[in-house]
Amino acid sequence: MNIIACVKQVPDTEAQIKVKADGSGIDDSQIKWVMNPYDEFGVEEALKLKEKNGGDVTIISVGPARAMETIRTALAMGAEKGIHICDPALDNADAFVTASALAAAIKGLPYDVIFCGQRAIDDDSGQVGAMLAELLGIPQLTIVTKLDYAGNAVKVIRPIEGAQLNIETALPCVVTAQKGLNEPRYASLPGIMKAKKKPVDVKNAAALGVATDVKAKVAKLAPPPARAAGKIICGDDAAQKAAELARCLREEAKAI
Amino acid sequence: MAKGIYVIAEQRDGALRKVSFELASAARKLADQTGDEVSAILLGSGVESMAAELGKFGVDKVFVGDNAALEPYVTEAHAQVVAKILKDNDAAIALFGASVQGKDLSARVAAKLAGGLATDCTDVKIDGGKLVAVRPMYAGKCFADVVFNTTPAMASLRPNVFPAVENAKAAAVTKVDVAVDAQKSKILEVQKDTSGKVDLTEANIIVSGGRGMKGPDEYKILEELADVLKGTVGASRAAVDAGWRPQKDQVGQTGKVVSPNLYIACGISGAIQHLAGMSSSKCIVAINKDAEAPIFAKADFGVVDDLFKVVPELTAACKKLLA
Amino acid sequence: MEHNIPPIAAGGNEGREVFWNAHSFEPLLFLFTAISMAIFAYGVYKRWQLWKAMGKDEIRWDLLPERLKSLFMNGFLQLKTWKDAYPGLMHGLIFFGFFVLIFGAAFDAGEFHITEPLFGWAFLRGQFYLNFSFLMDLFGLFVLIGVLMAAYRRYIQKPDRLGYKGTSDNTTDDAIALLLIGGIIVTGFAIEALRIHATLVEGAGVDKVTPDWEYYSFIGWFLAKAFNGMDIEAAKTWHSISWWTHTFIALGFIAYIPYSRLLHIITTPANHFMMSLKPAGYVEPIRDIENQESFGVSKLEEYTWKQIFDSDACTKCGRCQDGCPAYLTGKHLSPKKLVQDIKTFWLEQAPLAATKAVVPAAEGEEAAAPAEAAEGAAPEKTLFDAVDLHAVWDCTNCMYCMENCSSSIEHIQKMIDIRRYKVLTEADFAPELQLTYRNMENNSNPWGIGAHLRGDWAKEMGVKTLAEDPNVEYMFYVGCSGSFDDRGKKISVAFAKILQAAGVSFGILGTEESCCGDSAMRGGNDYLFQAQAQANIEIMNGYGVKKVIAICPHGYNCIKKDYPNFGGNYEVYHHTEIIADLIAKGKIKFTQPQSGTFTYHDSCFLGRYNHVYDQPRSILNAIPGTNVVEMERNFSKSFCCGAGGARMWMEEHGDRINNARTDQAIAVNASTVAVGCPFCLTMISDGIKDRQKIDSMVALDIAEIVCKAMGLEEVKEPVDVCAV
Repeated sequence: MNIIACVKQVPDTEAQIKVKADGSGIDDSQIKWVMNPYDEFGVEEALKLKEKNGGDVTIISVGPARAMETIRTALAMGAEKGIHICDPALDNADAFVTASALAAAIKGLPYDVIFCGQRAIDDDSGQVGAMLAELLGIPQLTIVTKLDYAGNAVKVIRPIEGAQLNIETALPCVVTAQKGLNEPRYASLPGIMKAKKKPVDVKNAAALGVATDVKAKVAKLAPPPARAAGKIICGDDAAQKAAELARCLREEAKAI
Repeated sequence: MAKGIYVIAEQRDGALRKVSFELASAARKLADQTGDEVSAILLGSGVESMAAELGKFGVDKVFVGDNAALEPYVTEAHAQVVAKILKDNDAAIALFGASVQGKDLSARVAAKLAGGLATDCTDVKIDGGKLVAVRPMYAGKCFADVVFNTTPAMASLRPNVFPAVENAKAAAVTKVDVAVDAQKSKILEVQKDTSGKVDLTEANIIVSGGRGMKGPDEYKILEELADVLKGTVGASRAAVDAGWRPQKDQVGQTGKVVSPNLYIACGISGAIQHLAGMSSSKCIVAINKDAEAPIFAKADFGVVDDLFKVVPELTAACKKLLA
Repeated sequence: MEHNIPPIAAGGNEGREVFWNAHSFEPLLFLFTAISMAIFAYGVYKRWQLWKAMGKDEIRWDLLPERLKSLFMNGFLQLKTWKDAYPGLMHGLIFFGFFVLIFGAAFDAGEFHITEPLFGWAFLRGQFYLNFSFLMDLFGLFVLIGVLMAAYRRYIQKPDRLGYKGTSDNTTDDAIALLLIGGIIVTGFAIEALRIHATLVEGAGVDKVTPDWEYYSFIGWFLAKAFNGMDIEAAKTWHSISWWTHTFIALGFIAYIPYSRLLHIITTPANHFMMSLKPAGYVEPIRDIENQESFGVSKLEEYTWKQIFDSDACTKCGRCQDGCPAYLTGKHLSPKKLVQDIKTFWLEQAPLAATKAVVPAAEGEEAAAPAEAAEGAAPEKTLFDAVDLHAVWDCTNCMYCMENCSSSIEHIQKMIDIRRYKVLTEADFAPELQLTYRNMENNSNPWGIGAHLRGDWAKEMGVKTLAEDPNVEYMFYVGCSGSFDDRGKKISVAFAKILQAAGVSFGILGTEESCCGDSAMRGGNDYLFQAQAQANIEIMNGYGVKKVIAICPHGYNCIKKDYPNFGGNYEVYHHTEIIADLIAKGKIKFTQPQSGTFTYHDSCFLGRYNHVYDQPRSILNAIPGTNVVEMERNFSKSFCCGAGGARMWMEEHGDRINNARTDQAIAVNASTVAVGCPFCLTMISDGIKDRQKIDSMVALDIAEIVCKAMGLEEVKEPVDVCAV
């Protein structure tokens, strides 16, 4: 099988996100960069599929030079080769531009399944997988928690609100990985060492013929409204406190 | 010049989903500023009768695509029709629900239209006649104002955030003649969750119990609360270690890492191992006798009292509110 | 030299005739002795080949004076065995008894075969002989008592440690060894008794009179009475029989040594001689890790020869198992079983390896051949065919086994080596530990809390970072618990307050600090450990740090013993050492007496690893009002809390170690369990909650107790939460 896994380098979930004073972006000087955890599920599923059915796994990432570390991480997990789409013109790419770049890189390659994370934990957009599928003209299976390979098709489970769908789709297709799909492996040290020598193609936007003008643009970033200190619910007795809590959850937090 | 605000209604099993009304109301509010019409796109099989309901929430016009191939929802078919309607009518703004279906659909449509899309927005407004979508990024660590360079400007709106406001309009039905390509995906089975409970990692509401629960049988009161809130019951490591709850229920560093909209921690002191597994929850409630318990430092709402008294009362209060 | 025959004292007849009644046996005896010695030598030679057959090189014969000292202290004086009273006495009686008897035999033989025939010098005469006789009987008796104690212990008392989870370890070999030793003594006494009886009958005629001096051979004299009435011929016959029996048993014993547990007579002292001279519990890192191809140990031959030899020095005494927190709470691990499993596997594999090693040598340069030759044969066995992997992961690295092993066996490195293979080479290990490692990789702490929050605890306290002021005497290495865990932060705050009050010049690294890496290293992830260590060392060396204080014994031990491998050389102190010193210097004044019963729980990495036992106790005793009691298991025999060796981050199955330790504190009615380690604090606090003792018992760090006693703790007014 020819399997492709798209990965994105994102700030660690715990990283301190400081918005630049002018709201133009975040201060990334102190950030620890990691592979987007949902992409990691995709890479793991790609590797499992390969290990079961043979073939190879290609890792593709759009990102600045540092994104190479993330590609190497995926190679350390066991993928065969990488493509790094690296171009300053793509630094502020939106989902459509990113998907276009990925599609352009993938078009010349043989592929059966393309894995993406269901969303990236930096922009939380969750668009690239579906857009990539559309641009390649193949079906998409988003937010997948289980995948079985069956000849020319895959059978997947997609949880939706209050139900889950069992879907069968002809290959090739794009699958976006949701937590629960698998437990990504911890790269072995020999794997890490070998990954340093695996081939990674570096391409720029011009070579791929990708237009880099964004469709949706972040005009301004702002820190969230200061989180009010936790509120201790008062009341004379448990019943009063409970009623007040229910009201707060409903009206203030809009959580129920 | 593009015009018209479009909402992509979501229906399942013959009923409109709540998010559809939230979309209609949000669109109405925008349209009242821009002077646009609000149109809804309603796809499925035998869905025309639902159009009127959309009218109640401010929809002027409903494009109804009625076709057996559109039921149940299949991404590519719906995307094809929605994109065609938006394109043919030169829509200015298109709003989707940020539900599983809406997110799946909106991105595909955006790609078809080579347009911009903002996902999971918590606010939409008009600035200089154009849509500005406000959405959280970095798990809510900051908020972005998104503007669009193409039309239609597309956004998906987070469910439960925008109020559904009644505002009766005509909801004139325009039937759309839809030709749908043969689909490569086939839904084999829809497994409805009869327990009404979702897995912890996917749950919107989690009611979790710790050492303070004192025993396995006492979890009944948490289950009752979870039933009322349509949530799932979780547990701290202490409770799992004590054998009160199964391992799959464990929230924390060594259990499941969850981020529901609401996390109600009952009798959980908030050991760091536990906090690591749930601190990204959007709203955290702590119910604990010990006012010094570290969980209160992380909680949005805290109740310092005996959980065995508070929880049943809370269940009753929520039942009343949600009735 | 003037004549050597000593003056005759009492009856003028002291001394005995060697080979009395056995002259004709003498040539035969030489023959049998030669056979016995040959069997012994052959056995040792074969064993030597097995010792050489497998394992990587390692030098364990440097630093000769220290090694000889260890051989004397541990091999001869047996200091390690004496730590347990009954087994210590039991073994001491046998060992020292036998030692004296062998010297006696050597004296006898020396006089008979060498000094007397060659120089006419017979020294076993007169009073010297009498004293000699007395000692021989006395030490013979000692051996017999020792053997009986051993038999009683092994077959009647049956302590758990002589088995594994209720299954006895006993083999016929154990019985044979005891029977041989006992047999030598019993037959020896029989010979003596019969000789005394017979010589008396011969010499004194019918109305025998016992010469005074025979009292010296008090056992033989006493037993001789049993033969009263036996005629001289019968006595002589029985004497011959006993003599031969004695001789055969003794020669059999010698021949039997290399083929049995008796081999420990050689291997155990050898192991003491070759013991690790590194700091206690030192773990050898994977050097030049970037250029290695395999990591850790999955095959026996990947151990060093010494790691394998250890198993041959094991006497199955079970001291290790006696205090192993994993074993005692029903886990798979028994350090003894682990070592014995390695030994069994080695004895199976080594002969194959020994023959295989010969093949390439015969074929000259074509060394690649064996791998192909082995094709079709049964797949090569790995260590995991012999060693229970669960057991390897059960270990808390508490070092009870190593500290208390009477054979100087080094258990922990063996397990870490296996963990290294599973983690680094195979990446096959507990998912919760994988999460911990990812957290350490991304945020340099096991919880994965944002690294930027590391210095936040100190922000309001006026504690400066070295970046702000590098000219301080001490660098306070706070560690992950002290920086991120809300409970641990209280220790950091308390200790910083103490230092501030005592006027100590110190600073912290703040966000420049990294995790010490101890959990990564002990959990087998040496790669991650080295990355953390190097990050810390680079920063610390950059500031020219010389003295380090740690509030966590894991960081303390790791910086002290492991960082020097990577260029980090500092004077490292634990905060209890500093506090004790400040008290001694009068810089700490206690104003608030602390009442209650305090018991101190020894952290393994402070106690056994670094022998800091007294300072924490002296601090508690210095605080007015405290009543300090000891738990049953303390000092070098203290019981682990369960968190060491990366176990802090892993799910524990079955009975929890921290609960077991908490029960021991409950047993002495402690109201405060004082600890010197944030991991212990977490574990004991959890134990107190689990045992539902939160109303009567609390766990506190020593620094917190001191802080309170100094009146530095902020007194919190009870807050009416609803008023805010």
